[in-house]
Amino acid sequence: MIAQAVLNEWYPVAMAAQVGAWPGRQTQLLGSDIAVFLDAGEIVVQRADGSALAVCLRYGHVWACLGTPAHDLFPIPEADQPGRRLVDCGVVRVKCSPLRAVENFLDIAHFPFVHTDVLGAEPHTEVGRYEVQIREDSDEVWATKVHFYQPQAAKSASGGIVTEYMYRVAAPTAAVLYKTCPNKPDAWDVIGIFVQPLTEELCEVWPWMALFDDATPQADLIQFQQMIFLQDRSILENQIPRLLPLDPGKEIPTQADMTSIAYRRWLKRKGLTYGAQMVAA
Amino acid sequence: MSGMWVANGLSQDLPLGVVMAGSWQGAELAIWRSATGRLSAWNDRCPHRGMRLSHGFVRGETLSCIYHGWTYGTDGACSKIPAHPAMVPPAAIKAEVYACVEADGVIWVAPAGTEVVLPDLSGLVAVRSVTVQADVAALTRGLPGFVQHGAVWRGQVEGAAVALVVQDRGASVTLHGLGAGDRVRLSRWLDGVRRLVEEGVLA
Amino acid sequence: MKLYDYVLSASCYKIRLMAALLGVKLDLVAVDFHPGREHRALAFRNLNPAGTLPVLVDGDLMLTESTAMLVYLAQASGRAWLGDSTPARAAKVQNWLAFSARLGASLGMARLHDMLIYPGDIDAFRRAGVECLRELEAHMTEARFAGRIFLEGDAPTIADIACFPNVALAPDGGVTLDDYPAIRLWSRALRALPGFIEMPGIHRLHELKPAPEAVPALEDL
Ligand code: FES
Ligand SMILES: [Fe+2]
Repeated sequence: MIAQAVLNEWYPVAMAAQVGAWPGRQTQLLGSDIAVFLDAGEIVVQRADGSALAVCLRYGHVWACLGTPAHDLFPIPEADQPGRRLVDCGVVRVKCSPLRAVENFLDIAHFPFVHTDVLGAEPHTEVGRYEVQIREDSDEVWATKVHFYQPQAAKSASGGIVTEYMYRVAAPTAAVLYKTCPNKPDAWDVIGIFVQPLTEELCEVWPWMALFDDATPQADLIQFQQMIFLQDRSILENQIPRLLPLDPGKEIPTQADMTSIAYRRWLKRKGLTYGAQMVAA
Repeated sequence: MSGMWVANGLSQDLPLGVVMAGSWQGAELAIWRSATGRLSAWNDRCPHRGMRLSHGFVRGETLSCIYHGWTYGTDGACSKIPAHPAMVPPAAIKAEVYACVEADGVIWVAPAGTEVVLPDLSGLVAVRSVTVQADVAALTRGLPGFVQHGAVWRGQVEGAAVALVVQDRGASVTLHGLGAGDRVRLSRWLDGVRRLVEEGVLA
Repeated sequence: MKLYDYVLSASCYKIRLMAALLGVKLDLVAVDFHPGREHRALAFRNLNPAGTLPVLVDGDLMLTESTAMLVYLAQASGRAWLGDSTPARAAKVQNWLAFSARLGASLGMARLHDMLIYPGDIDAFRRAGVECLRELEAHMTEARFAGRIFLEGDAPTIADIACFPNVALAPDGGVTLDDYPAIRLWSRALRALPGFIEMPGIHRLHELKPAPEAVPALEDL
């Protein structure tokens, strides 16, 4: 039984620009077979029995809800900001819990070891104290004032800098990060990770970006993002257990993991346990 | 108890400073050799976020996890958390340690504290480990004339003594082969054994 | 020298890796293989009608097969990498270059299936991939008996570079490498070569660098 709270959330199921006519994209959402296709110019998402799902199109992607949407899809105001370049980065399948994929996206301490010489490098491994809150008004998890030393923070960066980040969990399987923009010190680069839960142990991940960068060719921007995410993939496929443990005690967090602690607490509180392990095995 | 010891590879395949994956019954393990040659076998799961330690890296007498670099000494205790360089890790952060020994060129693993009782394989030379997609019961087909003593199957190949130490991994078995004959011939013979056993499984 | 490149392509990586090991500088031109399928678009097909990556352009020369590119780079900048010191060795290197195509068609396809959701018979890809790995393991086992760690002879050749990527990336396609100790040690030897570069799915051998003595405080940076 999938909890109603899980069914009533929005999940990404396709890149809007890539949806074609029937049979379109045959995929799964929370274990149910679905098809995403174009019908008379409209994007339709339907179950195997032909019934249609609630759909919305935002941030370059098609979002669907298997139940009754509890609320509108979360806002990313930067998506409508003039001058920003919106980049759809395609999809990557990962054999892991959708929640582990999000949690990894919220993590900085792995940069020197997994994204070596790009997002981090020894000996600059320290994660300073940062702030984390579950914002009651928007019902989101936020981490702010996150600082980390990076050898090459973005495609457009040259040389090492201390980068500031903000992280935001906007939906159970969608998170957005804001990081210092090398081209525009007063603005943030925005990178989203939209995770489609196919099953509790299999997901498809759609990275997405909204950047101030007119110079870098599209293919370079996409490949930089894909390079980073694919470095994470072999980690995500090798965490044991595959499901994200929500009970404290199964894994050992430290101060650097405050975002992960808050994310797990938030999931548990809201009953969003699809892809989670509740009882220590 | 000799039955508690499970063969996990040949010494020659785990040089100094290398980590590999292993198994003990249903448990998945990380087995590694330090710079000075000390062998360790741990549960293949980092206490931090569950990453497989067999993907990690060995520096000196420590094994580090590839995910966040948490570093563990040969006793399994965490000695360093790179995200908090000034912090001394609490003693509770510890990899789950198994007993690991090697004898006659074979690496063996058992639960910590198990008395060391191993089969005598002296006089034989380690050849190679071969994994067969079959269960232990299917092995007889590929090894006619071999006699089984516990985990060890003994027989003759072209007049030379051969011993195969069986690592039962459920759906598959790994045969750690030792012999008195020419290693190249024994290596090719092992490929033949695998073919024979697997064809029997398919038939 | 210009390489039309895709960061996740094992074949493109062969060329990037070879060039890095030889100290040859490549101008990389990123092609939006996924999701853009730019390699199938008209503009790219005017360059390479086959619509495949990588493509290497050096002056008037245009190459579309990665094995040919390896030969070209080695001929020009590191003849020892050709592995042609004897007729037999030269022929064996050719054998591995052909073998590398089998790796791409099996392990490479399994990876595209599992990672980028390419269609195809995943069980058949994996079965064929395991066959290749077993052949390679048997070969490397015998090579080690003879005291060698690379595919042919005492030094690495273009044969190693042609075969290494799809082997090392096998887990991306759901094929384990845990069962192949000789392949593991061969792969480590390659990853430890001076000038070696990674690609996503192949991690840095952090042990090649000593543990940092002191970690600089974040506030001081
Ligand atoms: S999971 Fe091992 S260090 Fe984080
Ligand atoms: Fe990452």
